[in-house]
Amino acid sequence: MVFVNQLTLTSALGAGMDSMRESLRDERSGLTDRGWPGSDVECFLGIADIPSELCVPAQRESRNNRLVEYALQQDGFIDHVAACVSKHGADRVGLVMGSSTSSVDRTEQAYAAMLEDQGEPAFADHFVQPETHNPHAPGDYAALRLGIAGPCMTISAACASSAKVFAVAQRWLDQGWVDAVVVGGADSLCLSVIYGFHSLQLIAASPCRPFSPDRQGISLGEAAGFALLSTEPAQVQLLGVGESCDAYHMSSAHPEGLGATLSMQRALQAAGLTIDDIDYVNLHGTGTRANDETEARACSGMAGENTLFSATKGWTGHALGAAGIVESVLSINALLTGFVPGTMNTEQCEPELPVMLESQQRQISTVLSNSFGFGGNNCSVVFGQS
Amino acid sequence: MKVCIPGAGVWARGISGFADLRQLARGGELPDVEFSAPKPEAISARERRRAGLTINLAVAVAHEACEVAGVDKAQVPSVFASAMGDTEITDYMCRKLCQGEKLLSPTKFHNSVHNAPSGYWSISAENRAPSTFVAGYRESFGAGMLEAVSQMQATQQPVLLVAYDIQDQAPLEHVTPIAQSLACALVIAPEGWAQTHTGALTNCAEIALVAGEVVADSPQAPGLVELAGGNPMGIGLTLLERLVAVQDGGAVEAQIRVPAAGRLWLDVRLGPGPSV
Repeated sequence: MVFVNQLTLTSALGAGMDSMRESLRDERSGLTDRGWPGSDVECFLGIADIPSELCVPAQRESRNNRLVEYALQQDGFIDHVAACVSKHGADRVGLVMGSSTSSVDRTEQAYAAMLEDQGEPAFADHFVQPETHNPHAPGDYAALRLGIAGPCMTISAACASSAKVFAVAQRWLDQGWVDAVVVGGADSLCLSVIYGFHSLQLIAASPCRPFSPDRQGISLGEAAGFALLSTEPAQVQLLGVGESCDAYHMSSAHPEGLGATLSMQRALQAAGLTIDDIDYVNLHGTGTRANDETEARACSGMAGENTLFSATKGWTGHALGAAGIVESVLSINALLTGFVPGTMNTEQCEPELPVMLESQQRQISTVLSNSFGFGGNNCSVVFGQS
Repeated sequence: MKVCIPGAGVWARGISGFADLRQLARGGELPDVEFSAPKPEAISARERRRAGLTINLAVAVAHEACEVAGVDKAQVPSVFASAMGDTEITDYMCRKLCQGEKLLSPTKFHNSVHNAPSGYWSISAENRAPSTFVAGYRESFGAGMLEAVSQMQATQQPVLLVAYDIQDQAPLEHVTPIAQSLACALVIAPEGWAQTHTGALTNCAEIALVAGEVVADSPQAPGLVELAGGNPMGIGLTLLERLVAVQDGGAVEAQIRVPAAGRLWLDVRLGPGPSV
């Protein structure tokens, strides 16, 4: 059995679990219209306010790594992992990171500086950072920072990235490759994602309203979060993970929600549960017309009688590769505190799926979190009270 | 852990499939040709043009490995691995974003996700099994292999591993240099798989995770040395070369040390092929 021993999240809802809980309690969305340097796209963003004085080594400099560093500094996470490393040995603690953007923010800056120079097509010296300009940068940085010397990798499966990390960790622990695993996710805002989603006409000009009949698209966000998993008993248990592919289209979900349904079914099967056993589903719920329709179809086909559904991207923005960890933390927090977050900004829902609009305080024992990404990649994670 | 390797696929300069690699491993010469991109028939000509090199490479070797192995393409779970992903798209996007209008191609943007080859593969094979993308920078092949072996152990079913990296251009070639484009794929199956299926490349491989300082092994054939040297996935060519050697009976056992993360490496030992 795999348990969640430690947890931390830094997002537009604040740095660390206490700030997040305060924002939840005050019903305060993290979305803002203050814009992004270099962008003229009309949108709301979920920005994580990283202190300017925060430092990472020059070779690792990037917004994404700074976000990783800032998140690791919260909730005593670094100390908890240090204790775990000294207990089991550095080789016996693994790390699985989920990230879609990695440090591409830094690559954008390196190109911008290079092209301004009009000289040879070469990065300026301080941008020559091989460990940073690659997809594994956040996993590599987190392992370095935490002194982890066990298996280490970065999963990059678009918006399903940091949900899939739980599947890897569960296998590693079950198979005895490691005694403990740090799982996490980190994606940071950058021009690539803002103009990329703009090119697909998927960005809403107003704060996103998942499952609202008049929804207009997504609000992007950024976040980094981590969990320490092991077989040492704790209040919350990882019960099962389901993964699937749509095998349909690169950027449009399967219209009948086939991949989403398979992902949820496989997660429930892995957990030995049925949907009736699930108290709360944290939906992927991006706020685009097509995605929410598909997910509503998949969920309405299997909705349990007492299951609560909500989408939380109106609170945090869509943190892309970090969405899995953001929503896993919100789901685990619901188990720990009984705070089940409502669908922020949505005032009316689609008849096909009655999502919960207002937050509720309720004792729950099982949660399922959905994360679906480009490439038709889907993942559902089930957690429960031990 | 004991595994069986029922099939492999490969593409590189002068190598258009496993049969070509087998010739090279047996002492053949690497043809003096330019690199040419594969044209996997599993995706339409129009899609191939939109897809770019990483996708075409990965999809081509994925299909080949499954065909050689005789596994069901629609059912096999898959692990894709790359150190750098699609650097052509990274370069395209970063250049566009420096311009005033910042207009990106929506196709290039959705192909910029590192799991794009996995997406095209799943569509082309009508495969709804789990599929993932794993990165470990210079150790990406080992990271992918670890993930594939771990999935295989969990499900006791064959798993497809697809590893690729493409040659990069300035300015990235000065930062994260990759000299040659290369892709290879392996189907990794449980030890018992060979009892009910015939034609495996080897039904006797053993893989263990070991801690210590290692230098990754290199191929022996001069042509393969050249190809493997400039690409983080070169270790895959080494593995395939040794696989041919044990299958041919020239080596009783071959050991390949695959770096997996930091000081960890996978100790892969290939036993004699099924024909011996």
